[in-house]
Amino acid sequence: MSPRLSGQLAQLPLLSIWGSCPTVHGQVPIRTFGIRSLNPPKTSRFDVGPGLPILKSSPTAALERKANTLPLRTGAIATKKGMTGLYDAESGKRIACTVLQLDRLEVISHKTVQKHGYFAVQMGAGWRRPANLTKSLLGHFSANGVSPKRHVCEFRVKDETGLLPVGQAVNANWFEVGQYVDARSNSKGKGFAGVMKRHGFGGQDRSHGVSLTHRSLGSAGPSQGGGSRVYPGKKMAGNMGNEQNTVQNLKILQVDQENGIIVVNGSISGPKGCVVRIQDALKKPWPEVAATSKST
Amino acid sequence: MIQLKTMLNCIDNSGAAVVECVQVLKKKRPATVGDRIVVVVQKQRSFGSDSTGNSGIANKVRRGDIRHAVVVRARKEMQRPDGSLVRFDDNACVLINKAGEPIGTRMNGVVATELRGRQWSKILSLAPMHV
Amino acid sequence: MANSSSILQQLGCVRSLFTTTTSRSTTLQTPMVGRRMLSTVYSAKPDPIPFPKGLPDQFYSQIPKRMRPDLAPKKLKIVPPPPAPQCKDAVAAVTQAQLKTLDPSGKRMRLFDYRRYARSVKPGDIIRVTFKNGDPFAGLVLSIKLRGADTSVLLRNQLTRVGVEMSVKVFSPNVESVEIVQRSEKRKRRARLYYMRQPRHDMGSVENLVTNYLRQKRALAGKKDRGNKKR
Repeated sequence: MSPRLSGQLAQLPLLSIWGSCPTVHGQVPIRTFGIRSLNPPKTSRFDVGPGLPILKSSPTAALERKANTLPLRTGAIATKKGMTGLYDAESGKRIACTVLQLDRLEVISHKTVQKHGYFAVQMGAGWRRPANLTKSLLGHFSANGVSPKRHVCEFRVKDETGLLPVGQAVNANWFEVGQYVDARSNSKGKGFAGVMKRHGFGGQDRSHGVSLTHRSLGSAGPSQGGGSRVYPGKKMAGNMGNEQNTVQNLKILQVDQENGIIVVNGSISGPKGCVVRIQDALKKPWPEVAATSKST
Repeated sequence: MIQLKTMLNCIDNSGAAVVECVQVLKKKRPATVGDRIVVVVQKQRSFGSDSTGNSGIANKVRRGDIRHAVVVRARKEMQRPDGSLVRFDDNACVLINKAGEPIGTRMNGVVATELRGRQWSKILSLAPMHV
Repeated sequence: MANSSSILQQLGCVRSLFTTTTSRSTTLQTPMVGRRMLSTVYSAKPDPIPFPKGLPDQFYSQIPKRMRPDLAPKKLKIVPPPPAPQCKDAVAAVTQAQLKTLDPSGKRMRLFDYRRYARSVKPGDIIRVTFKNGDPFAGLVLSIKLRGADTSVLLRNQLTRVGVEMSVKVFSPNVESVEIVQRSEKRKRRARLYYMRQPRHDMGSVENLVTNYLRQKRALAGKKDRGNKKR
């Protein structure tokens, strides 16, 4: 049977009756003859009815979801001072480490569920001349009885037990030797970088007729058939670096409370002197000190 | 930094003198001390000594043979766990069979201690000296 | 013509003199409208007249808000900052603390800090390093890198006719002892003796020197022991 015959069959008047009959959606069985209701029963587009699960898109549900991944206690704002090596006395191994320093770190204010929808501790570090601060910030500091701070950051905590009293100073002994922290900081800025440097593209040939496009990306996408457009997220040239990067699970090797020095295993993004936010590691068990700090 | 086309000295008495690396095994980077490579024998040791049999050079391999080998010295410096570095003036290797046992019975020349951590303790014990 | 014109010019000058005098007289007469004088520029800002005390409340609502004394902004109380951490160079502090544990007597530092101590190891010397696991390594000092706790010395030697170089971290706990086998006769004119790697400058093996040194040392130690026994 040739395919053309089937096409001719489809054009028969008998079949056109089927095509013309109105399609009725819903639970009503399709009837092609007999009495038809003029107002077919309409069902709601939404899933309504008793016994449905509670939606998970509410703020309370979000807090519940996050309960296990929020640290119990606040973190600290530190400054990256540089890197050095430490020798392990037993094994004789040399461990590369980063030196961080805390500078006049204090609790500025709290964020609470009742008022802001989440629990967080606002911390401030350093000192800034009041003349260089906006009036609103100055008012915020003076209202909380804290000296003007250079850097202000929030650290989310799980519940109100993690909220340190306002004005309390946090020293280097907030962290324990041997515990693990996550460190987040802005990486070194590389400026406007091409695709070879920014995304590791291969570039193009030095010769073989390539002119003036040795370091550029090739095609930005397919032509007609692929949509004739550049897809979102296409890797292109642009600003590289100076974006936040988190390094997880860094072990704390040394703590010097007098000078506010914390020595952390491994490297941290950013240049010397950059601001680093450290908090208890998410992917390790919470440190034992959490319980003691709550009681004090 | 031993990769395709690198010429190495062969420091055992298997009969090969100079070999060329044709493949680095189990690695996507250049080989260093303790890495297994595939080599082609480019130069044999002289036959004259073989006939006397005193020097102990058994001609177990011939020019053009494809063999496995372990790198025992490398020009590129290696870092030790305490941060110190070791570098040799040449690249050298020892021929082994598929099972990982050395083909030669003797070795002449210093080798790196990094062989111990891996499965090459036998080569290390054959060597007259290690650093 | 030229003469007459020059005379005229001179005359013109005279006239200008006259005109200036006349203008001065006119300025004195005309009122100074829109002129700025020194006195106007530097006149002090007039003090605001203080509000009369005891005004009835209904008067306040008539005053513009920014002028109302009862709505004046409160003075912010700025809290003084707590004392800053004393330590300015944190990395140096960590290094110093580490050196104190690794090299409590400071002997090792004195042995390698060639910038400060004359009797230290210098490039060109031959030294012998013994490690914790018992292996010694002797060699010619090619360079000394002074980097605090990461101070290292680059040694070169020939073992079984193969050049071997080792950069040793001198404060590493793996380093048991460092001895000077031989000092260079003349001061080297370079801090980094990398030319010693070239075949025509290469010193070859230092093993002979080291064995000689060890033999002498043993002999001396033996003598001493014998002397002690006699006493």
